[in-house]
Amino acid sequence: MMSFAGDRIPAFARMAHGNCRNLLLCALLVLLLPRSAGAAGMDEPAQAIAQFHGKLLQVMQQAQDLGYQGRYRELEPYINEGFDIPFIAGVILGRYRDQLSDTQRAEFNDLFSRSSTATYASRFNGYDGEAFREISRELLRRGRVLIRTELRRPHDEPVALDYLLHEKQGKWYIISVSANGVNDLSLKRAEYATVIKEKGYNGLVTEILSKIAEMENKSAPAEGK
Amino acid sequence: MNNSYKQNNPVSLSALLLVVALLTGCATTETIDGEVNPDPYEETNRSFYRFNDALDRHVMTPIAKNYVKAVPEPARDGITNFFDNLEYLNVILHSFLQGKLLQGISDVTRFVVNSSVGIGGLFDVATPMGLDKHDEDFGQTLAAWGAEPGAYLYLPFLGPYTARNSPDVAGSYFSNPLTYISTIYLFPVTFLNLVNDRANLLEASEFVEEASIDPYSFTREAYLQRRKYLIHDGNPPADEYDEMFELDFEEESEPKLVIE
Repeated sequence: MMSFAGDRIPAFARMAHGNCRNLLLCALLVLLLPRSAGAAGMDEPAQAIAQFHGKLLQVMQQAQDLGYQGRYRELEPYINEGFDIPFIAGVILGRYRDQLSDTQRAEFNDLFSRSSTATYASRFNGYDGEAFREISRELLRRGRVLIRTELRRPHDEPVALDYLLHEKQGKWYIISVSANGVNDLSLKRAEYATVIKEKGYNGLVTEILSKIAEMENKSAPAEGK
Repeated sequence: MNNSYKQNNPVSLSALLLVVALLTGCATTETIDGEVNPDPYEETNRSFYRFNDALDRHVMTPIAKNYVKAVPEPARDGITNFFDNLEYLNVILHSFLQGKLLQGISDVTRFVVNSSVGIGGLFDVATPMGLDKHDEDFGQTLAAWGAEPGAYLYLPFLGPYTARNSPDVAGSYFSNPLTYISTIYLFPVTFLNLVNDRANLLEASEFVEEASIDPYSFTREAYLQRRKYLIHDGNPPADEYDEMFELDFEEESEPKLVIE
């Protein structure tokens, strides 16, 4: 970004200067990098996302037959096994996590998993010709991988869906999802922090349980399942 | 574009917002337990949020729902296209102010095509021709020029803003041709725009209602993230996705957030 004051050298000139100075170094690094290993290393996380999208699409296409409960049952194993729930729950709780007992942490992991599954089951409730498409893969710091995708909708603008994954014990897990730049994890982290501050951990549990029940009650009768 | 509600006197309002922007520019340096607090005026913001929420629940949402029932979808699409096209002059201005020359030329062409072939903007004929719709405003221009976002502000009638984006209230007002039509027409036309905008957001607001346990925090976080996304034209640097996971790597199974 350009700055208002302070630097007399125009931004483009500074960039060009930096680029020239580092060009040789960059070229050497690119040549030395194990490119095939990097690309192959990103196949597995990309497959994990493709698999998740495949399941979402299937659930969307059979949404009416499955009903809310059916969609929940279909998606539950994919959420539990595809997402690193304990890790995500830890990041969402932030500093409050240290104040919880092991039992409460396990309870929260379960609650978070149920809440996430309920949200997917409630929102992916129909099919109108949508399709998922992978846009790009990027290797980030600490070996995490960013898979950028989009949900194409025939009658509306596409939704950008970006997934961040990390590897744990040889398996790739989703740790963050962003839709059109809005990150689900950050939203929950902010919301949960406010509720814990105002109502304590037990208050948060009550709120999440009531939200899950609300989604279930709203979706199930409307679909007659 | 943040134009859900318009004011009768945007000049004085924007002057006030500019003062607020200057006064709040450094407010994000406040911290809570070492973390930057983007919302130093949370108490006041929450009061305004409750006010807007009550107004929305009791006035705007019922009107918008009846509007959806009464006006067929193709007509609503036409109305949306018409107002979007008029507001697009603001996008054109800020494409150029950010130095996006080719995008600016494409935006001008889009506006001309939709205004003429698209019958005054009622039909979006430019998008199928490859003239994509862009989203630019004063706040994004100031960001491109290096200004910091400043404090988060939730304003009565207007909704969420950052201090940096607040001057856009005046910018989008003056760049909209509707501003210069007779008051007799301005009020009903502005009201139609408001109702139509609200109708377009019915599904989104239902989602917020359904998904959030604290709608105020949800709205704030979603707004701030969306602004970042727009500033990067929908392509934020990959490392930003990683920022919240600045963990003690050796204890990844027991995450701890490192405070910046």
